[in-house]
Amino acid sequence: MSDLASGRAAQQAQSAFRVLVVDDDPDMAGVLARMLTQQGMLADVVADGEAALKMIAAAPPDLVLLDVQMPGPSGFEICRRLKGQEATALLPVVLVTALEDQESRVRGIEAGADDFLSKPVRREELLARVKTLRRLHETRKELERRRLAAEVQRKEEIRKAFARYISPRLAERVLSESRGSEDVFRNLSDRAGVVALFADLRGYTRLSETVPVSSIVPMLNEFFTVLTAAAHDNEGTVFSMAGDSLLVGFNVPVPQPDATGRAVATARVMIQRFAPVAARWKAEYGLSTGIGVGIEAGEVVVGNVGAPSFMSYTIIGDPVNVAARLMQRAEPNEILVGPRASLSLHAMLDGSVPLDRRAVKLKGKAEPVEVVTLKVAPS
Amino acid sequence: MNDKTITVTVAKDLEDLIPTFMTNRNKELEALRAALGSGDMEQLRQLGHRMKGVGNSYGFELISILGKQIEDGAKTRDLPGIGARIEEYTDYLARVKIVYE
Repeated sequence: MSDLASGRAAQQAQSAFRVLVVDDDPDMAGVLARMLTQQGMLADVVADGEAALKMIAAAPPDLVLLDVQMPGPSGFEICRRLKGQEATALLPVVLVTALEDQESRVRGIEAGADDFLSKPVRREELLARVKTLRRLHETRKELERRRLAAEVQRKEEIRKAFARYISPRLAERVLSESRGSEDVFRNLSDRAGVVALFADLRGYTRLSETVPVSSIVPMLNEFFTVLTAAAHDNEGTVFSMAGDSLLVGFNVPVPQPDATGRAVATARVMIQRFAPVAARWKAEYGLSTGIGVGIEAGEVVVGNVGAPSFMSYTIIGDPVNVAARLMQRAEPNEILVGPRASLSLHAMLDGSVPLDRRAVKLKGKAEPVEVVTLKVAPS
Repeated sequence: MNDKTITVTVAKDLEDLIPTFMTNRNKELEALRAALGSGDMEQLRQLGHRMKGVGNSYGFELISILGKQIEDGAKTRDLPGIGARIEEYTDYLARVKIVYE
């Protein structure tokens, strides 16, 4: 038995094949239903097309035997409606008709009928046609079931991979807004306007010299856990962790009109949530630590960069460099916002809050850049 | 009209459906007579069409044959022919004997 056939057999074992018989003549409907139930199938009977549509919507059968001449919409019309709707387009429909003319057959084909059965009905012919369509239908259902299972598995794999970089909520959003992985990855290799946030641990050099090596890694893990959670809470994407610094991007991979606001909020949360950790470390080791943050906005290249054996999903461009330089200049518990990011910061605050502006000379930049300084009181 | 029975063999699994089926055939006969009396060709066509479909589905071949003749007769407005078929149908229903196997 083939793999597909065994899948079909398992499906058959799970549920009986359900046929909906639609005929306004109770004697005709009765004999059709009896011939089917004698073969172990389930048969429901309705007397007109509208009732059939309602029943199909409520509990889709596996096959429809449809009389042509009925009160209300004809069998042709009902067949056309079923084949015209996505949910029922693949539902096999057999037109059962005493019409003998060729034109009626042509109308049936045009309406999308899968097969025809002539009245008076011969039991052998009915069962042969139902058997053929049943096999086709079950193969189709098995293929669809496998396709869906593969789709679910593929999405789960993408979700897991994404969740290492971005917040689980954002990963779900990316997946739900993308038709397939191709869309997701196309969006992930592009030029895009982003807000880059760099954060690092102030006092790390002293810490690494003072604290036993065995304690450094757990301490860094605690630090990065606080920072990553703050980034994910604001739907930021963590692009890299190196040494004691963390790079987070906003407005990527999905648009975030309030990206600057999210970046500033993330920086504040990072500093505030790290404060108790810093207090504990100070009590334990007598060292002062804090977080310095740099934020800048602008166009970058977003994508998977590296060698085939080692790839990194990252952002590259001047705003990232500026954010890194600003981070280096920031005092503990200070956020330095670059000139392009501070434009939207100013618009966001609507001029209601005076911003502390100052010109800062950054490494690699010929001219000083004007930055906004935000001091955060650790609480 | 004669008294000789006409034996029709019907599948055993349809046995419990036959009483209703036969009741409906007698109602159909009354409807045919009424339609013939009023000259309602559309009603005669529909009744003939239905007889044609259902008759031999149960094993009653003559009902399907008569049904087709009545349907065709209605299309050509052959009232005498339809009348003869209705009489034949009456005779058939009176003499038919059903055997199940």
